[in-house]
Amino acid sequence: MKKSVYLRLAVDGIRKNRRLYLPYMLTGAVMMMMFYILAFLATSPMLSHMRGGVTLSTILPMGTSVIAIFSLLFLFYSQSFLIRQRNKEFGLYHVLGMDKWNICRILFWENLLVAVCSIASGIALGVAFSKIAEVCLLTILQEEINYNLRVGMGALIETVRIFGLIYLLLFVYAQVRVYCSNALALLLSSQTGERPPKGNWFFALVGAVVLGFAYYLAVTIQHPLQAFLTFFVAVIMVIIATYLLFITGSVVFCRMLQKNKNYYYKPNHFISVSSMVYRMKRNGAGLASICILSTMVLVTLSSTASLYLGMEDSINDMCPYDINVEITLYEPEVFQAETFAAYRRIVADTGVQQVAQREYPMGEILGVNSDDGIFFDMEVLHDFSPNSYGKLVNVRLLPLADYNRIMKAEETLEAGECLLYSMEKPYTNHTFAIGHSQTLQVQKVLSEFFAEGRSTVELEPAIYLVVKDLDTVRDVVVAANEEAGNSVGKLIWKYGFDTDLPEKEQTDFSRKLGDSVRTFFYDADNQLITGYSYGVDSKAANREDFLNVYGSLLFVGVMLSSVFVFAAVLIIYYKQISEGYEDQSRFEIMQKVGMTRKDIRKSINSQILTVFFLPLVFAGLHLAFAFPLVFKILQLLKLRDVTLLAMVTFCCFLVFGVFYAVVYKLTAGAYYRIVSGLQKS
Amino acid sequence: MTILEVTGLRKTYTTRFGGNKVEALKNVNFSVNQGEYVAIMGESGSGKTTLLNILAALDKPTAGSVILDGQDLTKINQAKAAAFRRNNLGFVFQEFNLLDTFTLEDNIYLPLVLAGKSYGEMSQRLAPIAEQLGISGLLKKYPYEVSGGQKQRAAVARAIITHPKLVLADEPTGALDSKATDELLRLFSAINQGGETILMVTHSVKAASQAKRVLFIKDGEVFHQIYRGDATSEQLYQKISDTLTMLATGGEGR
Repeated sequence: MKKSVYLRLAVDGIRKNRRLYLPYMLTGAVMMMMFYILAFLATSPMLSHMRGGVTLSTILPMGTSVIAIFSLLFLFYSQSFLIRQRNKEFGLYHVLGMDKWNICRILFWENLLVAVCSIASGIALGVAFSKIAEVCLLTILQEEINYNLRVGMGALIETVRIFGLIYLLLFVYAQVRVYCSNALALLLSSQTGERPPKGNWFFALVGAVVLGFAYYLAVTIQHPLQAFLTFFVAVIMVIIATYLLFITGSVVFCRMLQKNKNYYYKPNHFISVSSMVYRMKRNGAGLASICILSTMVLVTLSSTASLYLGMEDSINDMCPYDINVEITLYEPEVFQAETFAAYRRIVADTGVQQVAQREYPMGEILGVNSDDGIFFDMEVLHDFSPNSYGKLVNVRLLPLADYNRIMKAEETLEAGECLLYSMEKPYTNHTFAIGHSQTLQVQKVLSEFFAEGRSTVELEPAIYLVVKDLDTVRDVVVAANEEAGNSVGKLIWKYGFDTDLPEKEQTDFSRKLGDSVRTFFYDADNQLITGYSYGVDSKAANREDFLNVYGSLLFVGVMLSSVFVFAAVLIIYYKQISEGYEDQSRFEIMQKVGMTRKDIRKSINSQILTVFFLPLVFAGLHLAFAFPLVFKILQLLKLRDVTLLAMVTFCCFLVFGVFYAVVYKLTAGAYYRIVSGLQKS
Repeated sequence: MTILEVTGLRKTYTTRFGGNKVEALKNVNFSVNQGEYVAIMGESGSGKTTLLNILAALDKPTAGSVILDGQDLTKINQAKAAAFRRNNLGFVFQEFNLLDTFTLEDNIYLPLVLAGKSYGEMSQRLAPIAEQLGISGLLKKYPYEVSGGQKQRAAVARAIITHPKLVLADEPTGALDSKATDELLRLFSAINQGGETILMVTHSVKAASQAKRVLFIKDGEVFHQIYRGDATSEQLYQKISDTLTMLATGGEGR
């Protein structure tokens, strides 16, 4: 046979099956588009002259690798579905005298055509949409937008290379599939009676237990760092459990319903339940995939959006003032008012206009939490596993005078007494022990405390102690250090102020101020005067960092979500089509034995609805149980507002639900066309 | 007593493209008595299937009436037709039309379940029928696990479990081997003796020769009919063959 015959057969094959091939090519193209856009942005020269371009250039490539791996898996899934649908056609070719080699050649042309079309349209879409994506990204990052069009040659080559490889693998896979089949089996593949699925109790039970355990893990997690580790374990467990439950659990459930004769032999249940068994057996894996993809989309979107939206809160949480200075003194003797006055002068010397300010000295002691105070257990203090983190607490000491000034209070204290404020658990004891050597009388438990800047990632809860005066603060810290034989405590001077500088200059100003602080500690010969460490933080700099990290996370999150959603839609579409073909004959028989079209439609509708919305319901369930875990992890990233996360998650679910329903409506149309359309012929 | 009365039945199809009219049924008149066993014969294209679809209330005639037990089928609307079929008619098809997702037992129960019967009543009804049809041991099997003859017997059980006024059989032996055919025809006679009225459309002379009366349709009209009378099946077989030959060679007769 001539080459052109194969080509013609290939073109014909694709055209006749365009209902299957068009969505397949479109999905491939969309994945390539996303890949190209991310790769394009990651290699964009714009990053180099953008603030925080480095952050972006590390986050974006992560997105591209996720898309590449996902595309590989997903295109394999679609390819095997396509081959299964066309077995009969290949069988016919066999019977007509083609050998496997001939069929392989048809497949070669088909694959080549599909690959070329997909890659070409993917690149075209990618180039077309890359500018829009860039504008979106710049808007999210609150950067200036320019309107130069550009084609990223590097990204283009990378896209063609990766996806060319994927399509090559798909081609090899298709060849192997055809080569391992035999002619008659191909021809009869759709006619062989199907064994009724047996419910596998064992796997169903395992699925339920694993899911229960994963949920239990997610709900009972206490500490953010633990959450981070548990998250991956829980995710894998949930994925396994979802597959098991959808594939075997659903069949077991239907079987149980069938055993109950009074329930089963009712007009409404009889047909639905018995066909559901088959539907679930065939589509269990697909539905589980939809469920997991949906959950992934929802978790990604809700967490990245929450981080982005909650950004301002997190910034205020970290920096109560525009500029925040923190100097840690290593030598206790200098922890006194004169030193602080000198520090204040560093700021005043810059000549900056201070609108509002707050100054206070503070002692900080890290210890192991107990009911009546803290103690020092070096093993726990130096063990950096999540296990020990849960036991630690930060005790912060503040002189009474500063407390009264800041809070406009008029408390009084005797020596050896303190006021106590606990951030998390309520404190009930009447004394507070700091190690074994010191005990303070708790004169009063405070119900509120001023918001303190927390510039470092802090995982420990804090307890604030207001003590008689500055000397007491110093003495307690020194004594604690002596007892522990280690520097568990430190002495800090804190100073925060708002300025009238425009935001853009604040970042530079804080950098300059940092330099001034550093020079202060060196004498004329560039010798260190005392031991110290310092930090100068500005809202503006933080905002920049947050914007870069969370903005790019949100952007990548949205991009990945749309890839996942596309995949889910295609699975749904294929599911509807294959079911449509299967249900055709059943539809006809039922009509002959005395069901009205309306009855049948109603019965089928209820089955499809159940099957269709089961993944969404489970995704919602997964999301609900993942919520505490996600919140704990986001706490690590400085998200504090649990209501914001709840709201955003709920909105995401709602929007996704509506979208899902729309997809259902559209694909159900395709299903009914198949069921009733071919019935007439 | 007449159970089915067909008068002046006409059915005209319009082809999809252009206005060509095809007359499937011209003028069909016949009646069936309670407890009768009637075979309808005719070549492909003679209008058999159209007639059967109209009798089954699956299709509407262009003119004429079909009265089953005093009710005019042509006047029943689509929604009620399904319930009517379920309550008054039993069907046996060439291709069995069993649902592959059901066991044989559940397939047989299908019309009863649709009619809202309880499980106890259904199983009570099924026992003697399954016994008579010799499928008692197969009830828990799925259609793909049993032979064609067994499938058809299950289909017969499904047709008669509702005690229909009329059993319509469309080429019931068409997909069976000769042994299964003999077996099925024997069962049909037995069921008929048990009081069921049977109307069978068939190509097979052998099948028709078991009936008490044979109607011949040609070009959309009842062309001829033969009563069994006292004739044996062999004699009837001969008569039918002669009639078919005459039909094929275009003789004028009545």
